[in-house]
Amino acid sequence: MNTKLKRLLFYLLITLLSLLFILPLCWMILSSFKIDETIYKDLGTVYAFIPRFKDLTIRSYQELLNLYHIFKNMFNSLIYASITVVIGLIINSLAGYALAKFKFPFKNLILIFIIALMIVPIEATILPLYLVVNQLKLINTIYGLLLPFLTNVMNIFLFRQYFLAFPNELAEAAKIDGLGHFGLFFKIVFPVSRPIYVTIGIITFLASWNDFLWPVMALSNSDLMPIQVALNAIFSDRYNIFTSHIMAALTLVTIPIIIIYILFQKHIIEGAARSGIK
Amino acid sequence: MKKTSKVKYRTDEVMTAYLFLLPALLLALIFIVVPIILAFIYGFTDYYLLKPDERTFIGLDNFIRMLSDDLLIQTFKNTVYFVVLVVPIQLGMALGLALIINKKFRGNTYYRVAYFAPAVLSLVVISILWSVLLNPSSGLINQLLSSLGLPKQPFLTSTSQAMPTLVLISAWSGCGYQMLIFLAGLKNIQPNLYEAAEIDGANTWQKFKHITIPGLRAVSMFLIITTTIQAFKLIVQPMVMTGGGPDYKTMTLLQYIYEYGFRHRNTGYVSAITLVFTIFLVVVSIVFKKVLKEE
Repeated sequence: MNTKLKRLLFYLLITLLSLLFILPLCWMILSSFKIDETIYKDLGTVYAFIPRFKDLTIRSYQELLNLYHIFKNMFNSLIYASITVVIGLIINSLAGYALAKFKFPFKNLILIFIIALMIVPIEATILPLYLVVNQLKLINTIYGLLLPFLTNVMNIFLFRQYFLAFPNELAEAAKIDGLGHFGLFFKIVFPVSRPIYVTIGIITFLASWNDFLWPVMALSNSDLMPIQVALNAIFSDRYNIFTSHIMAALTLVTIPIIIIYILFQKHIIEGAARSGIK
Repeated sequence: MKKTSKVKYRTDEVMTAYLFLLPALLLALIFIVVPIILAFIYGFTDYYLLKPDERTFIGLDNFIRMLSDDLLIQTFKNTVYFVVLVVPIQLGMALGLALIINKKFRGNTYYRVAYFAPAVLSLVVISILWSVLLNPSSGLINQLLSSLGLPKQPFLTSTSQAMPTLVLISAWSGCGYQMLIFLAGLKNIQPNLYEAAEIDGANTWQKFKHITIPGLRAVSMFLIITTTIQAFKLIVQPMVMTGGGPDYKTMTLLQYIYEYGFRHRNTGYVSAITLVFTIFLVVVSIVFKKVLKEE
């Protein structure tokens, strides 16, 4: 086989493969801009994936936003994810820093404890977690929703590994400048380490934004519902609404995530690599 | 030796260390450790959440009951079936895509983005989207099948097709992110190894077998373990797409825990299941680590 034909076959194969991954997404976005009649008329044709501009409309978005408080749910999710990221980064990095840089009694014991917790499959213990939160009277509150997942032992471990390699000379210089442990951490260590904070922060944000099982259990108040739970509620209501509405909702929820992926792609790739190669 | 083993602590450093550790450890204690202890305690009782005062110690009854709980055994089988299929399929796809993207060719970026695209969707979005796409009568996939002259398929509404369908959807959505991890692994392999092999006249397959596979060992180990554990905890897709049906054929262990522990408030019995499930997953990850390390 000559190389030209070989290359053509290679491109044909990888292009067909790529269609498998993107066509469902194309259909989702395109269908959100149609009315149901057009969606189903186009199904067996290429127009399921290729826009015909005369058919496009934003009606489904207008109707969807009249029927459901999607933006409110998205705003809830944004708040929950932001709080989880900010507080999570602070407490996990402080713990990781202490384990990397300080000498204190029971240090090894605490480190072993953290590593042991890393193998505990969190979702598996979701029922007794519910019992604890219920006992604390935190069901249906933002505290019950967020407090259980602020500590992330994996992130403590990642921060510890990072700070182990952090040069001690900077710390020495800071001490000469009269900074205490807190000043050193917040004024010197934190600003220098911004990339790892962004990487872990983005991964945490996405996980929180996508979380479904715990919010279903911890919240029944629809005012507090995050977007993923609301989406499922809309979908369960499918006999009252149209496919175009559902696709509009899915598209709306995905747009912020696409923006995050575009803005932070380097950090996300770095996060994937860091999780794989420790 | 004695001199080095006796560490001198500085009070301010010790105080700061504990202060730095306190918030994270306190929350971990309350929300990770206490639940495990509770599962251990309640697992030996007939605790029913709506009647908390009538809680009595019943020894091993809950654990004996599990052995004859047909639905629990069914969900265990379903979960194992899912794990056994999804781990090789998803990781195989991820590795294949990573090998393609690792080549240098024009348009590489487009293909990387395309293969990764489903990974930006949340599990709920994926589940809803595919429920619509796979609708037996009006879904896109069946329309495509009919226009190709193929018979329509029931997919999620069929007892035999539902779980394999969930496997394929999970692999479709999950392999993009793992492709990135494999790619990072591939980039870590020294290129001069391939150059040396070429000089020695090695063909593509030999290079793959003797350089790529060993070079990816650490990454593969990590991915096999995490994907397996993750797959055992499958719940969102069946919850949204099938509700565990048809005929409980897609109900998973975690879904059983959710349905009967949380919704039906069968706290004592499901605590016992939680305990067994947690220990099972811990053992699986430890055994996997040992076995894969020895290879």
